[in-house]
Amino acid sequence: MNLTTFYLAVAGLILAPLVGGLVAGVDRVLTARMQSRMGPPLLQPFYDVGKLWSKVIAPASHWQGLFVRWALVASLASDVLLAAGADVLMCFFVQAASASFVALGAFCGSSPYSKLGAQRELFQLLAYEPVFLVAILCMAKVSGGFDAYSFMASDQPLLYKMPLIVPGLLFVVLVKLRKSPFDISGSHHMHQEVVRGVYTDYAGRDFALLEIAHWADVTVVLWICSFLWATSPLAMVVTAFLFLFAALVIDNISARLTWRHMLKVVAPISLVLATANLLWLYME
Amino acid sequence: MLDAYIGVLVLWPLVAGLACLVLKSPGVRSALVLSTGAALAVGALGVASQVPMTANPGFLSSQTALYIAEGAAFALPIYFLIRGLMEKHVLVIVFAIAQLGLAAMSVFGLAAPAAAKSAVYCDGLSLALVLVVSLVGSLICIFALPYMKHHEEHLHLKVTRQPGFFLILLAFLGFMNGLALSNDLRVFAAFYEATTLCSFLLIGHDKTEESKKSAFRALWMNCMGGVFLHGGIVLIQKQFGMADIHELMNPTLWAGASMLPIALLALAGCVKAAQMPFQSWLLGAMVAPTPVSALLHSSTMVKVGVFVCLRLGPVLESTTTGRVLALVGAFTFFATSALALGQSNAKKILAYSTIANLGLIIACAGIGTPIALAAGVVLLAIHAVTKGLLFLCVGDMEQTVGSRDLEDLRGLISKSPVTALAASAGAMAMILPPLGMLVGKWAALEAAAASPIAMVLIALGSALGVVCWVRFAGTLMSGQSIEAKTTHTSALTSTPILAMLAGAVGLGMAAPWFNALLLPASNIATALAGGWGLLPGLFIVAMLAWIIGMKVLGRQSAATLATPYIGGLPSVLKGTYVGPLGRNWTLTEGNEYASEIFGESKLTKFAGALAGALLLALVGGAII
Repeated sequence: MNLTTFYLAVAGLILAPLVGGLVAGVDRVLTARMQSRMGPPLLQPFYDVGKLWSKVIAPASHWQGLFVRWALVASLASDVLLAAGADVLMCFFVQAASASFVALGAFCGSSPYSKLGAQRELFQLLAYEPVFLVAILCMAKVSGGFDAYSFMASDQPLLYKMPLIVPGLLFVVLVKLRKSPFDISGSHHMHQEVVRGVYTDYAGRDFALLEIAHWADVTVVLWICSFLWATSPLAMVVTAFLFLFAALVIDNISARLTWRHMLKVVAPISLVLATANLLWLYME
Repeated sequence: MLDAYIGVLVLWPLVAGLACLVLKSPGVRSALVLSTGAALAVGALGVASQVPMTANPGFLSSQTALYIAEGAAFALPIYFLIRGLMEKHVLVIVFAIAQLGLAAMSVFGLAAPAAAKSAVYCDGLSLALVLVVSLVGSLICIFALPYMKHHEEHLHLKVTRQPGFFLILLAFLGFMNGLALSNDLRVFAAFYEATTLCSFLLIGHDKTEESKKSAFRALWMNCMGGVFLHGGIVLIQKQFGMADIHELMNPTLWAGASMLPIALLALAGCVKAAQMPFQSWLLGAMVAPTPVSALLHSSTMVKVGVFVCLRLGPVLESTTTGRVLALVGAFTFFATSALALGQSNAKKILAYSTIANLGLIIACAGIGTPIALAAGVVLLAIHAVTKGLLFLCVGDMEQTVGSRDLEDLRGLISKSPVTALAASAGAMAMILPPLGMLVGKWAALEAAAASPIAMVLIALGSALGVVCWVRFAGTLMSGQSIEAKTTHTSALTSTPILAMLAGAVGLGMAAPWFNALLLPASNIATALAGGWGLLPGLFIVAMLAWIIGMKVLGRQSAATLATPYIGGLPSVLKGTYVGPLGRNWTLTEGNEYASEIFGESKLTKFAGALAGALLLALVGGAII
């Protein structure tokens, strides 16, 4: 490992959660504007986390603190891996580990809502993971390597060769932002069914850390999406923003997407499209 | 010295087993089983220190040994035939007769093949199997000591049947070691058939109607596998006149030759590894006592199947047969992962997940590149330890709770913390980076770059597996409002469990180095720089997370817990609340199995038909 990689990794460790927090702020402002509301200030997510941090609340399970920390470490590690230009597939698996820890912590809680949320969280994981993996495999096929550097090395945007994975990635962003489907998501909207789903039993400082882990996750997902147009840093930022914006629009017009619908309809269609794209890359 | 180690590995278990049969006292039996465990460990480590190596121990290389092997090729099918005739089981009769025919053809119809250069050839793959059998297998046999005592108390047997049981259990280990080490196809086939015999006897051990049915199902399927194996061997004998496995696995030998023998051997491997559509014999094997299913699933029987396929790997690399085999394995990985997700029976979850992981290993074998094969061997070893651990845990839970349904095991952590935590850790070891199972999966995905469909299937199966195992661990660790009484676990039960847990985590963490040992020198640089090289860094991160987590756990475990949030007013009665309509509601919990999607009834038929078509393509493609 050379020194540049080290600096990049440290930058990833510090900046990624901050970027994720900003994304959460942008999300809330934009969503509010779409619904003709004023919305909170841009930095509201940071204020929220600060407030959560100051609260000491009795935990719902002895194990939750442990799983929260593990989730946070895994999320940050996936950011660091990406920043250091490491294997994107491994980064994906590390990120998935974080999601597993969040679900496990919810299982350990005492509230039935928390456990129900964990169950559905897992089915949600099942719906987006394969699509996300296939998207990464497509990128690897086009760029000829599995590391982040080769993803960013091609002269031509990867998007030209993989238009069919865009719906899949959009679906991943939608789920990862905890926007839809409404009967699982832990978003700030009113339109959810199971209180805050998988987050029900998390509170206080643990919850603040979990929020930071979530920000780190969002950064990873948007970052991987931005590889689609990785000709320059600016192009990557714009791509990521477009994915975010599209996800917000979809969330606002499909407030009643259920998890069964997601598992039976949305996931297969996006997976079939992504697979078709992969096969097509092999036929070239 | 080497010959002595090999002798210990193959013959000691047989002798100790016979001693168990003759000296019926339980104390002697325990001593024999424990000493076998120790002897096998010494033998395995002794062999490990010399790998790669060849040897010619007398009991495997002499002419007498070959006569015995040829005799076994007749004796075992004749025994199967007699059992089949007694039971009037048509399929067993048919396949046993077919095996006899092939054995006769091999001995009387064709010129005897040139003898193998060395009777024993041990490389990384053989060593992995020997280590798995000797270490994991022995631990399971030790676990069986207290388990079988309970088991027989539960069945109210007048005369104990344990001496015979332990004879087969121990002999099984010896046969497995022999199979892993032997380099002569005929000797290999004899050991192969012997494992079929052992599994048949062990599955039918309880002598209930159900176990008899399962035993015969296992017998006919494995007899069919035997037919494929002998068919392949006869063809090889005819085509090359050779019996040296190591020399036969040379890709240049097969350039331009018909791949049919290889396809048949791979098919035999698929049957033994219970790949779809042959999964039913392994599922049926669950009726046997837990040590048997643990042994069959983790360290013995099914590992023979993947061992055969991995052995064929070098020949399969970038051939059509190899590509189809990769597809077969990947499809089973996907389909059985889906089936595992729809199950609430804990043992069935384990069984389907076993089949799934074997499918992944077979996919690695089909890809056949050195990197894929190394990943396959790593998966073989780590899967054995992890799955052995999980089976022992579920067996112990079953004896504690009296049920193997996941819903009944909910919140087991408050009742039997050691077992529940070990099982949760085992479940996590199946899916979490940087432990071996996930890393193997990851290596398989990157190695599968030549077959996109296999990659997509592996991606799907991997996601299904994550959901299945997190739910499994989560259910065991589920929080409960009612305080339960902790039960005591016997040392002979908890020691194998904890040893296996240490092995699963330790071996999982050692995977990158293990993998590097298995790779040819030319591949190490690229494989380590590209991916496996990341892992040491991830281990440091994992350690850090472990320390932070444990600190928080220590702090939080003293905290008073919050009252459960139930969306209503908690009522005085535990587990109830005052909710909508002012009524008193009772809380119930249950997992979502989405059985309308992952249910066994529909999915098995559909996936079985598809997998059958793929297997036909495997053989058919080789004929054309």
